[in-house]
Amino acid sequence: MATRSQTAAVLLAGALALAACGSGGSKTPAAGGAAGKTLVIDTSFDLKTGDPGRTYEPTGLIIGKAAYETLLTFDGADVTKPVPALAESYELSQDGKTLTLKLKQGAVFADGSPVTADDVVFSLTRVRDMKGTPSFLLDGVEVAKDGDSTIKLTSKAANPALPFILPNPALGIINSKVAQQHGATTDAKDKAEQYLNSASLGSGPYAIESFNVSSQVVLKANPKYYGTKPAYDKVVIRNVEAATQKLNVQRGDSQVALNLSGDQVTGMPNTLQVKKTASANVIFLLANQDSAISKTTTNAKFVEAVRKGVDYAGLLELAGEGSTQAPGVIPSQLLGALPADQAAKRDVEGAKAALAASGLSNPSVKLEYPSELTVNGLSFQPLAERIQANLKEVGITVELAPAPVATALDNYRNGKEEMGLWYWGPDYPDPSDYLAFLPGKTVGLRAGWKPGAAKEIEAAGDKAAVTIGDDARKTVYRDVQTKLNAGGPFVPLIQPSQNIVTAATVTGLEYHPVWTVDVADLGVK
Amino acid sequence: MKTTGTRARHPLARFLIRRILIALLLAWGITLVTFVLTNMVPGDPVAANLGQRALGDPAIVAQWKAEHGLDKPLPEQYLLHLQGILQGDLGTSQQSHRPVGDDLAAFVPATLELAGAAILISLVLGVAFGVVAALRRDRLPDHLLRVLSLIGISVPTFWLALLAFYVFFYRLQLTPGSGRIDPGMTAPGPITGLHTLDAALTGQWDVFASAVGHLITPALVLALYTIGLLTRFTRSAVLEVLGQDYVRAARAKGLPGRTVLFRYVLRSALVPIITVAGLAFGSLLSGTVLVEAIFAWPGVGQYAYKSATSLDLPAVMGVGLVVGVVYLIINLIVDVLYGIIDPRVRLQ
Repeated sequence: MATRSQTAAVLLAGALALAACGSGGSKTPAAGGAAGKTLVIDTSFDLKTGDPGRTYEPTGLIIGKAAYETLLTFDGADVTKPVPALAESYELSQDGKTLTLKLKQGAVFADGSPVTADDVVFSLTRVRDMKGTPSFLLDGVEVAKDGDSTIKLTSKAANPALPFILPNPALGIINSKVAQQHGATTDAKDKAEQYLNSASLGSGPYAIESFNVSSQVVLKANPKYYGTKPAYDKVVIRNVEAATQKLNVQRGDSQVALNLSGDQVTGMPNTLQVKKTASANVIFLLANQDSAISKTTTNAKFVEAVRKGVDYAGLLELAGEGSTQAPGVIPSQLLGALPADQAAKRDVEGAKAALAASGLSNPSVKLEYPSELTVNGLSFQPLAERIQANLKEVGITVELAPAPVATALDNYRNGKEEMGLWYWGPDYPDPSDYLAFLPGKTVGLRAGWKPGAAKEIEAAGDKAAVTIGDDARKTVYRDVQTKLNAGGPFVPLIQPSQNIVTAATVTGLEYHPVWTVDVADLGVK
Repeated sequence: MKTTGTRARHPLARFLIRRILIALLLAWGITLVTFVLTNMVPGDPVAANLGQRALGDPAIVAQWKAEHGLDKPLPEQYLLHLQGILQGDLGTSQQSHRPVGDDLAAFVPATLELAGAAILISLVLGVAFGVVAALRRDRLPDHLLRVLSLIGISVPTFWLALLAFYVFFYRLQLTPGSGRIDPGMTAPGPITGLHTLDAALTGQWDVFASAVGHLITPALVLALYTIGLLTRFTRSAVLEVLGQDYVRAARAKGLPGRTVLFRYVLRSALVPIITVAGLAFGSLLSGTVLVEAIFAWPGVGQYAYKSATSLDLPAVMGVGLVVGVVYLIINLIVDVLYGIIDPRVRLQ
């Protein structure tokens, strides 16, 4: 008996030792070393597809940006000026209706075949007409080639946002011949998605080696890439919870952690680099303007009391270092953002006065928000609790009504929330995306704000939509937001910090509002 | 009388057929329950799956609903779902846009590898600890094992997983990090889908060592609850048998202690142990959701969580069906083992 026990003990010890020696000591996968040059990025996956034409989730955009090239792009984190990518130059007509792009010569796909004007026309038409999630980006835009190296994009109305839309990785150019052999079409019958989940038909610096929407995506350097070769031969993007991301990057098991909260990056060792940048996500409150939903939130003085009653500094403290207050709905990185000094300030006495002027006595409202959703690692729950406490000081009772995001979205989308706590991230980094907050538009309707409800603001919005020229656009969009802050149902709160932690060996990291990180820009120290 | 005689000649076969028929009925029940429950959940799968802008375009919403069969009445959706299952088609996932069957084929092996290792560890350690505790009743080993089993049963799995990851991976640097193998390695060719086995079969010993290393901590964490449970049940079952007359008689006849333990005591104690092991397997499967999330283990648990939070109904129903069927199979095996161990069960 004793001999058998000893044998079992030896076997167990052997198995543990094998585990410890075999992998416990597994070293960093050559972040800075020459061997293999593998980069491991940990992120909480929000990924549905590898088909650029259907991509609209943050993780998908990281992959799309690496594997596919667009006509235009942005230089680093600067989203105020589109720069050439597959197009070497572009020009917007005086009336803003026609965008003419001249294609760069020498660009090739991963199989070595040249990128042609036909590929561009097919790719963009496919995105627009197969009615996937990003189809709206090209709504009403006609795509045509003019010769072999010129593309004309024509809109019925002035579309000054188009150069800012084109860098979206969803508008990546695919090899149309190969795609069509695998079921790609320019209508709703398109069947190429499965193929595009396992193959790269782009001309980007990386190609997809393996793709799994729930666990891991592996990118390998595209040997046919005609531009500057990326620093890493292989990039492994793993689906990892934030708490585990922190330990992995500290231990050296990964080199980049994308989803850490302000609390989690506090006290990081000096051997790691921490980048804290205000994200382009704006968290805001909405007060429903539909009297069938609420008699309280439709009162303009009530909204004023809320705006003056919120402790913005307290919310920033919750969100952590790197976060900023949002002066308007347009985030600080974009053209037309309001300057920081125009941000609302807490004024408890002013809020009480506004509440008294509203005629409402001890009002009580229900605040709905997605309970388990986090934005840049920040949960909505503590924000809602802080707002509840702030407004209680003013005399407003807030009943918290958290719900799972899929459930909460239903009420939000249908404009049934009395008050809501949500966020808006840019679909494309252009202020025109924020016209959605006006009466009768996507977000406006969610706040029960019907067309014609605020004619002055709507007129300002209509003017902004067709204004051409950066300076003029900046002025009109600021005007829209000033009016929106004064008489609209929204209270912009904060832009939480996007915290990215990298190993000391990783260089060139910039947070980007659209694709978070351009892996091809990352270098080795 | 003749029929009765034939039946009596094949009691095990008759027993098996009856159990399989009941299992099939239960499997149908699972499809109905998962369908009804997933459709009762408040929330709109369209809102959960489409971007905010796309939601504003009725053409995109209509196309998405048509693509996923959500434009049909619920009873028709259920019948189509059932028809699909009979033809081996579990539908298409709304999140991955792939057949649910293909998704499950990719994720189930990872969970089977994890759960299989955990149940193996549980059975070996749980039964061994239970026997030791019973044989050393009210002495130091018994007290220590009682504390261990209490910890195993009462400590939440997610907390234990976080603690184990922090201590063994981060602090002591004994175990590897997330996933099934080191990120720099390429997974072995999918022969069985179990990385440990596939790596061994293809002779990739560095991958094998990495796979074993990645497996051991999550498997131990997952096993701890079952070890605690099995230790307690084995202890009480063995103690009960130890007091039986036939055990005393065997000892009185001068049989060696090992023979008495294995032939007389353990065999009789096996029935309650198997019952508990079968039940424990169910809780072990549910435990994988949290353990897989913390160890970034790409298994069914992670797939189920992602499907549930994005209201991916075909995937949720597919996972429910597969987990339910696995549970039924385990129960069927337990029932058959009863019949083998105790012939009286077959005749009931």
